Amino acid sequence: MSRTLIDFVNISKSFHNNLVLDELNLSVKENEFLTLLGPSGCGKTTTLRILGGFETPDSGQVIFDGVDITNLPPNKRNLNTVFQKYALFTHMTIAENIAFGLKIKKKSKAYIDDKIKYALKLVNLDGFENRQVDSLSGGQQQRIAIARAIVNEPKVLLLDEPLGALDLKLRQDMAYELIRLKNELGITFIYVTHDQEEALTMSDTIVVMNQGYIQQMGSPEDIYNEPENAFVADFIGESNILPAIMLEDKLVEILGARFACVDVGFGKNQPVDVVIRPEDIELVKPDKGIINGRVTHLIFKGVHYEMEVMANGFEWLVHSTSMFPVGTEVGLWVDPFNIQIMNKPESEDEEAVGVNE
Amino acid sequence: MKNAARKLYLTLIIIFLYAPIVTLVVLSFNSSKTRAKWGGFTLKWYSSLFSDTAIMNALYTTLTIALLSAFIATLVGTTASVAMHSMQAKYRNYLMTVTNIPMLNADIVTGISLMLLFIACRVTLGYSTILLAHITFNIPYVILSVMPKLKQTNKHTYEAALDLGASPIYAFFKVVFPDILPGVLSGFLMAFTMSLDDFIITHFTKGPSVDTLPTKIYSEVRKGIRPEMYALSTLLFLTVLILMILINSSPKNEEKPSRKSQMTSLVLRRVVPITLVILITGGGIFYGSKNKMRSEEQVIVYNWGEYIDPDVITMFEEETGISVIYEEFETNEIMYPKIKSGAIAYDVVCPSDYMIERMVREDLLAEINWDNVPNIKNIDPTYMDQSKSFDPDNAYSVPYCFGTVGILYNKTMVDEPIDSWNVLWDPKYTDNILMQDSVRDAFAVALKRKGYSLNSTDVNELEEATADLIEQKPLVQAYVIDQVRDKMIGNEAAIGVIYSGEAIYTQWENENLEYVIPKEGSNVWIDSWVIPKNAQNKENGEKFINFLCRPDIALMNFEYITYSTPNKEARALIEDEELRNSTIAFPTADMLKDCETFRFLGNDADAFYNELWNKVKAH
Repeated sequence: MSRTLIDFVNISKSFHNNLVLDELNLSVKENEFLTLLGPSGCGKTTTLRILGGFETPDSGQVIFDGVDITNLPPNKRNLNTVFQKYALFTHMTIAENIAFGLKIKKKSKAYIDDKIKYALKLVNLDGFENRQVDSLSGGQQQRIAIARAIVNEPKVLLLDEPLGALDLKLRQDMAYELIRLKNELGITFIYVTHDQEEALTMSDTIVVMNQGYIQQMGSPEDIYNEPENAFVADFIGESNILPAIMLEDKLVEILGARFACVDVGFGKNQPVDVVIRPEDIELVKPDKGIINGRVTHLIFKGVHYEMEVMANGFEWLVHSTSMFPVGTEVGLWVDPFNIQIMNKPESEDEEAVGVNE
Repeated sequence: MKNAARKLYLTLIIIFLYAPIVTLVVLSFNSSKTRAKWGGFTLKWYSSLFSDTAIMNALYTTLTIALLSAFIATLVGTTASVAMHSMQAKYRNYLMTVTNIPMLNADIVTGISLMLLFIACRVTLGYSTILLAHITFNIPYVILSVMPKLKQTNKHTYEAALDLGASPIYAFFKVVFPDILPGVLSGFLMAFTMSLDDFIITHFTKGPSVDTLPTKIYSEVRKGIRPEMYALSTLLFLTVLILMILINSSPKNEEKPSRKSQMTSLVLRRVVPITLVILITGGGIFYGSKNKMRSEEQVIVYNWGEYIDPDVITMFEEETGISVIYEEFETNEIMYPKIKSGAIAYDVVCPSDYMIERMVREDLLAEINWDNVPNIKNIDPTYMDQSKSFDPDNAYSVPYCFGTVGILYNKTMVDEPIDSWNVLWDPKYTDNILMQDSVRDAFAVALKRKGYSLNSTDVNELEEATADLIEQKPLVQAYVIDQVRDKMIGNEAAIGVIYSGEAIYTQWENENLEYVIPKEGSNVWIDSWVIPKNAQNKENGEKFINFLCRPDIALMNFEYITYSTPNKEARALIEDEELRNSTIAFPTADMLKDCETFRFLGNDADAFYNELWNKVKAH
């Protein structure tokens, strides 16, 4: 991929003695759609605000295009932000909103008019120039916020939970819209969200954060299929996370039963955590699987059935296209390839250890 | 039934709230000078109001103070709000409380403490101190109305503006300010209204010759309320009413941006400020050109309200080239602390007898250099002798006006000759008697009736007087001060205790009224000119006193004030023979034989008198 555009180097930040970011290191490449994903309070928004210039880190540096911009005020940075609640200027028309940044840059009137037209077309709101902000729907306001940001031709567009205030349908539409925009503009997007589905849909790279630390960074597939720890596994999609013992290479004991797997190098009789995605568990006839259990819950989800199966004292979450009524005795079978082994954290601290490139 | 009761209740409340104001408005169109009768509709009080330069000056001062203080307070308050808004909640709440306290604080405390501060900092009280005081008490109102608007604004809009390349100042004015503008405007209007309305704080922080409308109105009421004051109060009420309507309606316009609100904002942004600027500069030039002729030589005069013919001041200025800075007080007790504190260095003051005694005793007065006051020869020696009761060596004071206290009675309602205080205890006149509502005047009546001194400090005599006053109470229609005059003119009572100067006036209005000084003797009061020790222009002060002692000038003042003049040469010039020989205006030595002036009895005795008076009032 292309060259690195932004580097966060050892960024720490705390508010009122509450450590929000601890020695964060992160690189963003040119043209990348990078998502900061995590629960609220994980430090993702702070990271974005430090990049935007609205917060100053307690220590560390932000390098942008090879230049240290740590102490540069927001209005001097070549990037623009789309805020969570749009932050449109309600006393101005749509055109005046979009022209705001360009007027400060003292662009010609013809240039500004062109840009407004272009931007409105880009966000599919042609002809909205003279409308008032209040007369627009939430989705339309969000698009104007994006238009207002991109007319300034930033190298990077920062988006702070931009879809958070929209309803589900609109959110999905806007997600596709954003991917299209990113491809048309050819600039870097840094996107903050707590919604794993949005993250998986749009991103080139996902950075999962928790309690001020980066938990895992990788492509959506990597993050989903090979979570590096229980937090990531739990946060990204649904999964069964179980304590287990690695008996030897390619053999793990889960709840007293032996499962074949493909992982090696954990040593012998080593306690580990195991992640098994619900769609990776196959339900078979009793005794045909690795362990036996009984279906305790059944919900129809449309594409599949969601079932809970009690086996060896654990409620396994299972997704399957075949239906097994509650009370059915079943066998559970997992392909060795679909068992993900993770090191057990040795201490509380390590549970949230920073992951460096 | 329930509905009717509800409506009745509402009507009562509205009547209760607005009846006084309606009365005021109606009276302002009444062509009769007294409240007692309706003389037909007229606008003459309004026209005479607008031709009164003193009132117009006060109006101009009021407006400039209100505008300037509201403007500066808005500036400071808005800045403060922005700063406080970005603070941590803990500190912000703390500061909000601190800024709210002055609003809840009693005005009188704010006023006095500001005055003390100005005096401590050696700032001369005047226009600038009123302005500073008004800015001070206006700031919290601005903060109160700007703060909620700031809390409503989306803090991200400011960040968005920065993000789009705006400098912090540009972002504030382009993005934040339009959002809080309704709050800023209503803060401005509220501050303007508060400043327009304020009396107490202005009263304490103003200097000589500067008056705002409220203080002017207050000083005008000393001689009974002039009908022009009804007109002025009506206009003031209307102004405040309009402002309040503006304050309450301005935020609504901003909610829905429409053509109408754009018009409003155009008016607010362009028309209003330009009008104000024109008004202030225009007024300033007018005011400045009026004051330009004032020379360096000046004399600061502190006198009772309505206690000099304004033409006399003009004549003095023209003849001597000394400009007069003129300020008025309403009671001796208001004047005294101003002299005592030394807040303002007055050159000549006109206190009453007992107050002069007190000021002499406290060494607040300068001895008059009689070489500069040759006209003292015109003063009747009788009154120089009377003055010795409070100024034993005739060293400090020059008598200006005097009068007696006596009984005013209506000949149609009383059929016997009246010559004694005893008539005030006659059950025949139950509910037809008016007493003075002030401690010394009331006790003077009771003490004199029994043949005691009205300056008695004898406990037994005072206890006896108290018992007599309590005994008299059921007979008394009302304890009043100024209303004695109006009620007697309006035939509302048969007998009243009144000052002689007022008695002459009542006789012009109602020929059935007669005045008598009771045979037991009464109070004779003298108001005299004195020069405070800290006077800056003592010689000019003496020139002023000398001028007032000139017979023609004393005559002008007598005709204007109607209180008796001790100037014998002036009396000789009175053309109206009846008035010249009037024993009400000029009682004979025999009539004054048993009369005394009030004396300063000391703080303890004052307190004892007040205690006894409260006993009477509470009984």
